[in-house]
Amino acid sequence: MDVLGLKDSFSRIAAYGDEVPLFFYSDLFIKHPEVRDLFPISMKTQREHLIGALAQIVAQVDRLEDLTVFVQSLGRDHRKFGAVAEHYEAVGDSLLATLGHFAGDTWTPELAADWAAAYGLVASVMIEAAKEDEASRPAFWRGTVLSCEQRAFDINVLHVRAEPRLDFRPGQSVAIESPRRPRLWRYYSIANAPREDGTLDFHVRLIDGGAVSMALTYGQEPGGSLRLGPPIGVLTLDATCGRDLLMVAGSTGLAPLKALIEQVAGLPALPAVQLFFCARTADGLYDLPSLEKLAGEHQWLTVVPVISSELRSRGESGSVTDVVMRAGNWSGHDAYLAGPTEMVRDTAARLTSAGTPRSQIHIEDFGWSEP
Amino acid sequence: MTVAWQQEEKRLTPDEVQAVTFPLSRIGRRGFDEDHVRAFLQEVEREIVTLLNEKVSLWNEVERLRRRIITGMKQSGDNDGVLFGREDAHVHAVRILSNAQLTADRYVADAQAYSHRLTEEARNRRDEILNEAQQHADLVLEEASSRAREAALATLNAPVPNQMEADRSALKAELAYLRTFGEVYRTHLRAYTEGMLRSISEWERSEARTIDQASSDVRGSYDLGR
Repeated sequence: MDVLGLKDSFSRIAAYGDEVPLFFYSDLFIKHPEVRDLFPISMKTQREHLIGALAQIVAQVDRLEDLTVFVQSLGRDHRKFGAVAEHYEAVGDSLLATLGHFAGDTWTPELAADWAAAYGLVASVMIEAAKEDEASRPAFWRGTVLSCEQRAFDINVLHVRAEPRLDFRPGQSVAIESPRRPRLWRYYSIANAPREDGTLDFHVRLIDGGAVSMALTYGQEPGGSLRLGPPIGVLTLDATCGRDLLMVAGSTGLAPLKALIEQVAGLPALPAVQLFFCARTADGLYDLPSLEKLAGEHQWLTVVPVISSELRSRGESGSVTDVVMRAGNWSGHDAYLAGPTEMVRDTAARLTSAGTPRSQIHIEDFGWSEP
Repeated sequence: MTVAWQQEEKRLTPDEVQAVTFPLSRIGRRGFDEDHVRAFLQEVEREIVTLLNEKVSLWNEVERLRRRIITGMKQSGDNDGVLFGREDAHVHAVRILSNAQLTADRYVADAQAYSHRLTEEARNRRDEILNEAQQHADLVLEEASSRAREAALATLNAPVPNQMEADRSALKAELAYLRTFGEVYRTHLRAYTEGMLRSISEWERSEARTIDQASSDVRGSYDLGR
């Protein structure tokens, strides 16, 4: 395989920008109209993802080990979108047609054969990973909304039953798709530790202009259905650390931390947990009554409400990071941070410079404020 | 080989025009009227979108003609084959579907931008109202406590029962006033909040309608492509 030839042709084709994925998807949908239903109405983000994934694959085509990990996760990820082995052939056809179209005169039979071979390899790794994944879990879980509680004008708490039972570690998240926004998946943290009845809580905040959060905040009713993807995420408890815990939650960033607190309650040796729960306004502290009840039942738990923008308030006020840093020396604690990206980043930086080792600071790697 | 249409990532996009914000000028300094600026930005955005569309179709046209020439050179003399090649028809269909998809994308983006603006404005308005209410409540509280202090002092300093009776009925009147005031205020606030929630549901519904429309547009041109 001529690796340099592949990279070279890709960089020339990629210069056509959005026109390349636009051509690809149109070609695919004309040749295989049934595939259109696997995609959302607006394809803008989809086109960006396609080019991003192709660029990464082409960049790593000569480092097969790194590439395999990425491609395997792509294969597993595509199960919940409804991709099956037959689709891969259709995609390959349209991909080659697109590359040929944009390569123009430089498209030789040798180059076409190299691309076909490279795509064949990627597709077989994806199909294989999806098949392995199929043995251990479904492509997606069917969720039924059991109840929903509008806690503030922009915050809704959903109580959901998943079928079959969805096993996860406290602090993990799942992608959610609402039938009102077909084919749009957004990650939400599960806000409880695993329960006997297998039900899940989600704390949804309305993002301005957010398509999915809008559908999940307004108009949800008991009996409504959702689809849930497999659990992911690394914001899980290191129960063996033996240190006390500092938790800082901004708005619905509370969800994963509440799951961790419920997990701590079941541990044999209880660490002291100090939770700072921060919102912009008093009504943003949507779960305070339930947290205060927990703190009343458990001596090891302290809850500090923080309001960042109001002059007068029930709790501490000011930047949450300032409040946390004023409140004590955290260098011997394990810190769990979740909330708006900026808050998490600032707090992590301040904790690090005040002596908490980076390895003791736990954060999720994806942004919370996806639209 | 045609030249690529410059590096796309460095160009100004309609989304950027849509999303641009300017800091407010300091109080006392003159600034442009916000509505005019916004209206002009929308016009600029529409213009860019139109230009981008024209660009895509022109590019496709160039590509189509280029192919005709290549095919024509290969099959020299066969003019019908040049004009109505099979591949040509497919590229044509791809172009139609691509344009329809871009239209659908724009519908969705517009609906989202619209709902973004409305939610943001509603949030700001709500903050203002809450602030105002808080200040109002503070005033009422302050007044009530100062009156209570006066009343307490008056009780201490007034030995005449008649005077006390008069004070008591005055206080009762005050209390009644405050109670009424509180009720009226709550009713207003509740009506306003409910109104706001109704409007949000209305946006939600209109957004759904827009998306349905966009979706059927996509399907429409899709059947054409098939």
